[in-house]
Amino acid sequence: MDLNFTVNGETWALDVAPADVLLDVLREKAAVKSPKIGCERGDCGSCTIIMDGRTVRSCLVLAVEADGHEITTVEGLSFDGLSRLQGLFLSNNSFQCGFCAPGIVLAATELLERKPNPSRHDVQEALAGNLCRCTGYEPIIEAVLAAGAGGDQ
Amino acid sequence: MTATYPFEAESPTGDLATVGTPAVRVDGVEKISGAAQFVDDIDFGPGLLYAAIVESPHAYARIVSIDTAEAEQASGVVRIATGKDFPYKFGMYMEDRYIFAQDYVRFVGEQVAGVIARSHREAVRAAKLIKVEYDLLTPLLDPRSAVAEGADLIHPDLAAYTHVPWFFPEADTNIAHWRRIRKGDTEQAFADADLVLEDTYEVPRYAHCAIEPHVTVSRLDPAGRLTVWTASQSPHTQRHLFAQALAPLGFTHKDVRVITPYVGGGFGGKAGVSMEILGAAMATLVKGRPVKLRWTREQEFYNTYQRQGVVAELKVGVMNDGTITAVEHKLYWDAGAYVEYGANVVNAAGLSATGPYRVPNITNDSLCVYTNLPPGGPYRGFGYSEFHFGLESHMDRIAEAIGMDPVKFRKKNAIVEGDELAYGAHMNPSGLHEAIDKTAAAIGWGIEERSDNPNTVIGKGIALFWKAPAMPPNASSASFLKFNEDGSVNIAVSGMELGQGYLTVMAQIASEVLSVPVDKIRVETPDTDRNPYEWQTVASHVTWSSGLAVEKAALEARSKIFDVIHQVYGFEDDSLYLEDEAVRCKTDPSFSKPLRDFVIDGIQTDDGTWRGGPIVASGKFMPEFTNANSDPATGQGGHPNVHYTVGATGVVLEIDKATGRIWVRKAALAVDAGRAINPDLVKGQITGGLVQGLATVLFEDMRFDEGGRMMNPTFTDYKIPTAFDIPDEIIPIIVEVPQPDGPFGARGVGEHTMIAAAPVIANAVYHALGVRITSMPITQEKVAMSYLATTMSEGNQEE
Amino acid sequence: MVISHEFDYRRPSSLEDAIGALAEFPGSAWILAGGTDLVAWLRDDAVAPDLVVDIKDVPGLADIALDDRTLSIGSLVTFTDLIESDLIADHAPLLAEMAETVGSTGIRNRATLVGNICSAVPSCDAGPVLLAYDAAVHLAGPAGERTVDINDWFVGLRQTARSDDEVVTRVTIDVRSHGGIYVKLMRYAGEDLAQAAVAIVVRPDHDFRVAFGAVAPTPFRSARIEDALRGKALDAALVGRVVALVADEISPITDMRASAEYRTRMTEVMLDRGLWAAVGRLSGEGLRYGERVI
Ligand code: FES
Ligand code: FES
Repeated sequence: MDLNFTVNGETWALDVAPADVLLDVLREKAAVKSPKIGCERGDCGSCTIIMDGRTVRSCLVLAVEADGHEITTVEGLSFDGLSRLQGLFLSNNSFQCGFCAPGIVLAATELLERKPNPSRHDVQEALAGNLCRCTGYEPIIEAVLAAGAGGDQ
Repeated sequence: MTATYPFEAESPTGDLATVGTPAVRVDGVEKISGAAQFVDDIDFGPGLLYAAIVESPHAYARIVSIDTAEAEQASGVVRIATGKDFPYKFGMYMEDRYIFAQDYVRFVGEQVAGVIARSHREAVRAAKLIKVEYDLLTPLLDPRSAVAEGADLIHPDLAAYTHVPWFFPEADTNIAHWRRIRKGDTEQAFADADLVLEDTYEVPRYAHCAIEPHVTVSRLDPAGRLTVWTASQSPHTQRHLFAQALAPLGFTHKDVRVITPYVGGGFGGKAGVSMEILGAAMATLVKGRPVKLRWTREQEFYNTYQRQGVVAELKVGVMNDGTITAVEHKLYWDAGAYVEYGANVVNAAGLSATGPYRVPNITNDSLCVYTNLPPGGPYRGFGYSEFHFGLESHMDRIAEAIGMDPVKFRKKNAIVEGDELAYGAHMNPSGLHEAIDKTAAAIGWGIEERSDNPNTVIGKGIALFWKAPAMPPNASSASFLKFNEDGSVNIAVSGMELGQGYLTVMAQIASEVLSVPVDKIRVETPDTDRNPYEWQTVASHVTWSSGLAVEKAALEARSKIFDVIHQVYGFEDDSLYLEDEAVRCKTDPSFSKPLRDFVIDGIQTDDGTWRGGPIVASGKFMPEFTNANSDPATGQGGHPNVHYTVGATGVVLEIDKATGRIWVRKAALAVDAGRAINPDLVKGQITGGLVQGLATVLFEDMRFDEGGRMMNPTFTDYKIPTAFDIPDEIIPIIVEVPQPDGPFGARGVGEHTMIAAAPVIANAVYHALGVRITSMPITQEKVAMSYLATTMSEGNQEE
Repeated sequence: MVISHEFDYRRPSSLEDAIGALAEFPGSAWILAGGTDLVAWLRDDAVAPDLVVDIKDVPGLADIALDDRTLSIGSLVTFTDLIESDLIADHAPLLAEMAETVGSTGIRNRATLVGNICSAVPSCDAGPVLLAYDAAVHLAGPAGERTVDINDWFVGLRQTARSDDEVVTRVTIDVRSHGGIYVKLMRYAGEDLAQAAVAIVVRPDHDFRVAFGAVAPTPFRSARIEDALRGKALDAALVGRVVALVADEISPITDMRASAEYRTRMTEVMLDRGLWAAVGRLSGEGLRYGERVI
């Protein structure tokens, strides 16, 4: 089936099977590797992408469902250098292995767009679907709170 | 200390520029921008083939037949592999495992056949078409029944297995290794003790749950070179085991190349060799084509190393003044179907099962028992987390029984430098007392706190920990270092960046010696063809061991630099030093020669000729004071451990008496890092390890049904913490009593931070509710139901 | 795991076409909305449809609308929509409180309220709340439209009153003044399935609706408990009496997630604390929506 969609501003015309999952198609056919395969059943959030402005789990989306839609991944956020949030993640040494980082960067980005000054509870809520086994979350939460406290720019 | 140290470290008390600062991670930008490459992210083009594995649905069975006919005809199938293709054994410390099952399967998930196909979907579909007929046997799922008289033998040929000299298998039993420690006279000490407390503690199996699943891509090129890209903590050990296992096919170490890019979390689960050997072996059947094998999350749970379960029978004798006089610790490990790696967990625990205490009379028995559950293996903490649960619970109970404050009791017995260890060697310098004091202060130990909520109560707990790296006595590390034209530096090492910050720490160590800033030093993940040897990135030893190798390489580079200056300018080497990327001279303050001016091209002398040339150096480290030779009957005589890292953990928690829900309000953890090369990264280990440890006691455990099948192999039902499930406040405390033989005094901290998490919760729950729980995990359900049972029985007594 | 079998996929742009597509593959067509259950089941081989009908392009299914006292929630309304909707906050706050406990943001951005009651697993969060709200489920099929009372919706384990050729278009609820609460027992504060759940709605005349989740094959309401409470002011004795009925009313199982005993005990605690909180909210006192009693 035809799949026409936009990934980080670039349009793609692909041929996919109905049983192909968006996560696999993005990684294998659309040149983005930041969405990771972690659990393939919606539990871990490492496959997180932004679709039409909202984070979704690309492991639970059929590729054909993305036809006509717009997708952003971390690669897309980093075109013009790091975002302010990414800069804070960096200076705070927020991540360890970094496997969860693409998903968490997107989840936190969505949160800050909706709630520029989130509370600790808001941050925990926004990140609760993104499992990180390394950090204990604290250094990640601190950076997101700092990004919020800095207000809009 | 009797140990002789390999060389004098840089003065740990001198002024340091980079070491001790919270440098930003060298891999930070790659990781937050999505650029960091993990194995599964590497493109192999349209030639890539995919593998799927047929696994045993039975915990114990004889394979009667394997019918692959239909699968061979399925679309996209290139090749099918079974045990017949690879009748080869392998194993890390004991060769008890085959690449594919031969005649028997011994756990649910054991690999029986593999399909290689042109797409992942076709591989999975074809695997479902392979028919295996089994003759079912009764599985042994519990270590104590597996050691019972007359139990079936899971490995009847145990006595013939090759193993390291410090293992002591018991022929014709299911005991693959029995580590005994006998010191003093335990029986007499119990007879003389004012109080003897005895109980049994149970710890189930646990899963590492790195978010990146195991994945490997292998390719045998037409010239006979086997390259394996793998998500591994152990590139050289993997190369070694691949070369050994596949030696019958003609492979030597030179023919095998292991490339390990970033790893998405290890925690021990990606140490040694597990599923990777399947991919490596299968690739030999389809020469020229890369073959990818990636575990699903379910396989990640039931078909990689698991943390072994243990039943711990513990007996401790104490005098009324609080002096511990004797410890008897019998550990029955549920080591699973193959113990090639797990037996060393058992060994390590047996050596140190007294915990960080001075104990004159010791009887430790640590039994590695075969069961028909998945193979046990290394997991952050390496046996110590498991036995600390009972031990540190017990310490609180003894303190209460003799009417002593648990902190005071622990301080009275806490081990100090020079104390004799269970196996006769002596304790290294340690800041245990400082760690205890600071932890107790951080949680307000001794200050009663009351909840305003009538449904909840507040409790506090404390627990100590210690751990030594568990490794062969001669496990070693090496490094290469080279300068570039602009004075920047490349370092090649083979430790793995698992997230702990290894690359950054290596850069900081070299930076300190060479005065080159961290951002001009590139340290990358290894390729065994290019990078020098490293045993494995496990045991929390790479900061120490690889750090020493990097320090030595940097020192060698520095002396080569000084040699060039000496040749050209005549300054004596010992008058020279490095500062701000230049050579300076103590006797001639006006002298300054920037490194970038000569580290490649050399220096032109007055006659127009040149001296020097590219500065390259290497370093290696192997401990030369360790040995694993000890008396099998007593464990005395060897020096198996390089040193211990110690610390303390404390919590304040609040419990809903009705629901059992626990909120950790505050958690403090003090660890003696010797020297924190990068305090931010040490704090990262404290926070991450503590949360991982708290999860083992509060939420997680692996459940198996009566057929040995794991019931909860998903994150839906194996609950690892989310951002909500962490303490409200974590207080990381770094203690620094230098390790004399460590780089700048450093010792490892990576595993230690999770070790005391379980008993500290058990102790705080007891403090809050008066309920002592002796089996992990301590879930809200267990707390609520235990509390309900006590209140009901109290109620009955009152009637 | 990859989805290993093949199926057809259609994304009709009208309700008629969707119904027509379902009719072409009787019993082997599955409706796809958010997909958070369906795609997971496809991966697990738990379902193997010949056709997947994606209804996301069907117009008119994504609305939340208030018509007099009737609030209508289209079948494409996601849990995030519920959380962010002012209409929901003002008129059916329990739905938002419930939605916040479902999955995680990435799931809630996709998963729908109606999909949740169509999957109809015992722990479905929407079930008890819609029961407590006396919701009606509106379906469209080859024979036209019909409405099913939510009390008749859950007919068995993962079974509903929907027939294979019908599409749920929306659910409606009556939004008269009320207080209420959704209490969900989870193994930890993060994302989890309900181990037990209680939904309570109380009207100003102290007419109660009390529904349970995850403690029986389907979500259900307890008439005995509601009768015992009807018209009465809460006091400790009354609450004690209805809590004592719980063990008889529910039929929980012991599984890996929780024991039957714990589920029972916790359902009692949740009903006890939930009743006080619901009545408190009716009078605008006590806990705000979203604040938890366990
Ligand atoms: S891979 Fe999609 S949520 Fe885990
Ligand atoms: S940093 Fe490793 S999973 Fe988050």
